[in-house]
Amino acid sequence: MLRDRRREYLTAFILVGPFVLIYGVLFVWPTIQMVMLSFTKAPLIGAGDWVGWDNYVKILTHRLFHTASWNTAYFVLLTVIPNTLISLLIAMAVNRLNGWLQGLVLACFFLPYILPVSVVFLTWNWIIDVQYGLVQGVVRLFNGGEPASLTRTIPLFMPTVAFVTIWWTMGFNILLFLAGLRTISPEIYEAAQLDSAGRWRQFTRITWPLIWPVTALVLTIQLIAQLKIFDQVYLFSIGGRQDATIVLVQYIYKLAFQQNKGGEAATAAVLLFAMIIILSVLQYQLLRSRGEK
Amino acid sequence: MMHTLRKLALASSAFVALATGAYAQQTVVWWDFLAGGDGVRMKALIDQFNEEHQGEIQIEGTTLEWGTPFYTKLQTSSAIGEGPDIATYHLSRIPLAVDSGTLSEITDEDMAGAGISDDDFTQAAVAAAKVDDVRYAVPFDQHGLILFYNKEMLGEAGMLDDNGLPTGLDGMENFEAALAQFTADGKYGLSMPTGDRYRAVYSFFGQQGGTMFDEAAGGFFPTDEDLAKLTTATETMKRWVDNGWTPAQIESPAALALFTSGQAAFFIMGNWEVPTFTDLAAKGEIFEWGAVELPVLFDTKAAWSDSHAFVIPANAGKEADPEKRAAVMQVIAWMDQNSLDWAGAGHIPAFNAVRESEEFKTMKPQSDYAGFADTAVFDPRTILAGPATPLGDAWSNYINPATTGEIEPADAAMQMRDDLNSQL
Repeated sequence: MLRDRRREYLTAFILVGPFVLIYGVLFVWPTIQMVMLSFTKAPLIGAGDWVGWDNYVKILTHRLFHTASWNTAYFVLLTVIPNTLISLLIAMAVNRLNGWLQGLVLACFFLPYILPVSVVFLTWNWIIDVQYGLVQGVVRLFNGGEPASLTRTIPLFMPTVAFVTIWWTMGFNILLFLAGLRTISPEIYEAAQLDSAGRWRQFTRITWPLIWPVTALVLTIQLIAQLKIFDQVYLFSIGGRQDATIVLVQYIYKLAFQQNKGGEAATAAVLLFAMIIILSVLQYQLLRSRGEK
Repeated sequence: MMHTLRKLALASSAFVALATGAYAQQTVVWWDFLAGGDGVRMKALIDQFNEEHQGEIQIEGTTLEWGTPFYTKLQTSSAIGEGPDIATYHLSRIPLAVDSGTLSEITDEDMAGAGISDDDFTQAAVAAAKVDDVRYAVPFDQHGLILFYNKEMLGEAGMLDDNGLPTGLDGMENFEAALAQFTADGKYGLSMPTGDRYRAVYSFFGQQGGTMFDEAAGGFFPTDEDLAKLTTATETMKRWVDNGWTPAQIESPAALALFTSGQAAFFIMGNWEVPTFTDLAAKGEIFEWGAVELPVLFDTKAAWSDSHAFVIPANAGKEADPEKRAAVMQVIAWMDQNSLDWAGAGHIPAFNAVRESEEFKTMKPQSDYAGFADTAVFDPRTILAGPATPLGDAWSNYINPATTGEIEPADAAMQMRDDLNSQL
């Protein structure tokens, strides 16, 4: 009995070992290093003098850090919940289709998701271009007949990039929702219909509660992904007022790779890391407790 | 099992022996950031070099993304000894590169070994390649902002002389009258990407004789007068936008298309756009065009300028290899001596023998604008300068938006000064 247990431990260790090792070397150790780095005045490469909490004071009082935090929060607000709702709506619509038609429509919605960000950027940059863009026909209606740049007009920047992001990423969420919807037994709907429950009632009483675990998952994945937003914002802002539209990861990038301030960049990274952990744990707990009611 | 291992060990030692045997030929790993017309011409030069040096030196070239991606990769790889043997570099960025320890010193002996010396190059470029009298780069070219024009449109307006060169553009009043004249029927006087306007603003700042940076006098835009000159330069651009002579918001590809489709009479851009038009002309897809120096709108001639150069990364921790270094220097010298082909990309060779050659002097339109090289305004000598640096960011964050009215030009100038000085 005792020997068997020992053998079980050994098997477990052999199976888990490689992952733990790789996880430790590639994630845990660099993370510890990053925290250490944030207390030094290191350049991008090499060691630096210990400066205690100086970097934290500097970053937390830096004007650009505040701009970046606000912009990131704004972007999260513009994408996380809208993306989830739109994906759910489309998933429910797709779910009503059958056979090859369902496959075709689903493929259409999923296709953007497999594109690299650079392709998404180039495509949309031409669609919204001031001189030649398709979208300008609509913009003119709202702008007194004049074209306007959607990415160079600062108040329009985040909504535009948020729109493109939703277009780009919703395919994956639709897939998750569709999988969730398929697990709901049709018998439940039949029973509800016999009790003369309408469409809306069926949605609020059956679909919404039963799909809730998937919704919670989608919301959490979205929150983490959008807090780490960088690519699209960076690409669309090249050549423009980058300081006005800067987001947190871009701020870290600017400090580290453009200004050669490794210590300060690590500090900003630690702050973002803490923010993501706190927010996502909070959100997940909140959503889970709601689902249990 | 043991048997297989032994076999493997034998095979690998044989391989090592083979590799060492082929030591006679040097492979020079080369990184550049040259895309578009620049890239095509550089690729041709590399191929030609490899052909002429078969069995001796072979260049293994890689092209990376211009700007921050290139410079970041070069800095990080050089710091761990994994950088290339040679790389292209902007001279404006040399102070920052030296500050971060990316580059290896190029000694007089290195130069002499390849048969070149400082006297072979333009003195402005030689000075820009040094920090505290230590040489870190060998100049290759000088490039800058020039004025492209549509010969057909200017010809119809009677603004060309017998040689097909524009006349009467100097002086603010004259140039603005021309801009106004061509702005009609949905056409514009001037096309220029919004993101590149700072280069024109810096040129106009230089035409007023402004000082951008003086460490002893307190940093960026040291006097109120300098700040006023920057404001005036920005206001000039803003006035052109306000009057509708140039589109308020326009991206690079669209700005190019606007000019090549005959919708704008003038196009202010770097000379690196020359191959685009040369190639279009070869296919018969463009009107008659030309390029000249920027007109003088203020007191003196001046145009924004920078310089491509070759550097040898420091490659920390890598053992010094004199033979490899000699090969690299030979590559550099050859490139400079053959830079006439590079001039085809619109650039002005830094190598005197090529620039003063008859072939270059008859090259069109290069020889029509080559004069800017003498009156060019470079980025100031500070670690904040160069492409993809805080100075570049400040231009985009303050001055470009000021030309479209998002910020008042005077405020923009002040904010730019304060932002840059706070990073010194």
